[in-house]
Amino acid sequence: MEDKIRLHCKEILSGKKVDVIWGLREKDGFVAPFLFQSPEDLDSLVVSSKYPLSFTCRPSKETIISILQKKEPGLRIGVVARGCDERALVELAKGEQINLDLIEVIGFSCDQAQAEECLCFMPFPQKLLFGTKVEGIPEDKAFHDLLAKELKERLNFWQDQLSKCIKCYGCRNACPMCFCKDCRMEQPVYTETGWLPPEFPLFHFVRFYHMADRCIECGECEKACPMDIPLRKITKYLRAKMKEIFDYRAGLNAKEKSPILTTLDEDPVKELQDEIR
Amino acid sequence: MGNNFEPQIVGFLCNWCTYVASDLAGVARLQYPPNMRAIRMMCSGSVSPLYIISALKKGADGVFIGGCHIGDCHYQRGNHSTLKRVTIVKHLLEALGIDPRRLRLEWISASEGPQFSKVVAEFVNQIKELGPNPLKGT
Repeated sequence: MEDKIRLHCKEILSGKKVDVIWGLREKDGFVAPFLFQSPEDLDSLVVSSKYPLSFTCRPSKETIISILQKKEPGLRIGVVARGCDERALVELAKGEQINLDLIEVIGFSCDQAQAEECLCFMPFPQKLLFGTKVEGIPEDKAFHDLLAKELKERLNFWQDQLSKCIKCYGCRNACPMCFCKDCRMEQPVYTETGWLPPEFPLFHFVRFYHMADRCIECGECEKACPMDIPLRKITKYLRAKMKEIFDYRAGLNAKEKSPILTTLDEDPVKELQDEIR
Repeated sequence: MGNNFEPQIVGFLCNWCTYVASDLAGVARLQYPPNMRAIRMMCSGSVSPLYIISALKKGADGVFIGGCHIGDCHYQRGNHSTLKRVTIVKHLLEALGIDPRRLRLEWISASEGPQFSKVVAEFVNQIKELGPNPLKGT
């Protein structure tokens, strides 16, 4: 599959279908994101290593692609993308961070083992060029067990888990969807500065709530967390709820608006009134 | 705590409807429990989910949000977002292990003073049943 992707990339790059290709490069045994500008470079392109969403760039809170598009308007970028990468691109376009029209997605699918490791609900991009579709994992079973327990046990679980937090902001920095310049998680009004662990549940609540209509289930927050806090349990649960209540799933359609931003006239939600009581 | 538990409730009331309704309830000398501390907001749509969780964190046993009926919002569609947000916050609270019944959203228009006193009394009773907020003092 890797060879085929390389060949395809070379073709579209030398055929001037795209100006640059954004992907992963292996050099001296290390894999890192790289902007391929000439077809010769593409020999070192790799896809096998797990390094998704390599286009996030910190601490400017901008993505490489948005920086590129700002500096070079009209630049056509080819992006070698997994399912999660593509969903991130769609959501970034919704947030007006990037222009999706100038981006060519070179999509490839993940295998079953990777999908299971990531608990990915859709381990393939919509624009699939390479590889075959494998079944996604729609639900997190472990969290279902937790939800069946009593409120008090759940609260204790989260108090234990979230008190491990060392406030490194790793989850936020790794998240491709966290692009706000002014982050609520840094504001002393909501979280006391110079204090560990951060206040339960305010600090994490900010991200949990903001991720409700944005989370694309890439799992980067959990991977970035040095204290192994199972952050995705909540984001995955909320995503499922968004599907259930608003019939909305983030990252699938760039034209679909988030239900939080629409009014009830545009997007009537039946029985929501009864639901809240 | 037993029966002596007196809950503290933070109420975010819309300036145009529910706040006026509470005023009306007062003027009409309707009796309702004094447990709710009212905060006047310009619109129920300006109640950020972070206000809700901050209130719970800082010791409120319940949070009450009062707004205009859907379609009557002074700002056209402010309460549409309130409804959606509160729905999400309720699910989030449940996932975190906080009883979602501690948060209540009601539409009470300016003329519904009796309704206001009824709802507040109901909510206070419910919070009394639920007991003190587990987040208090953590």
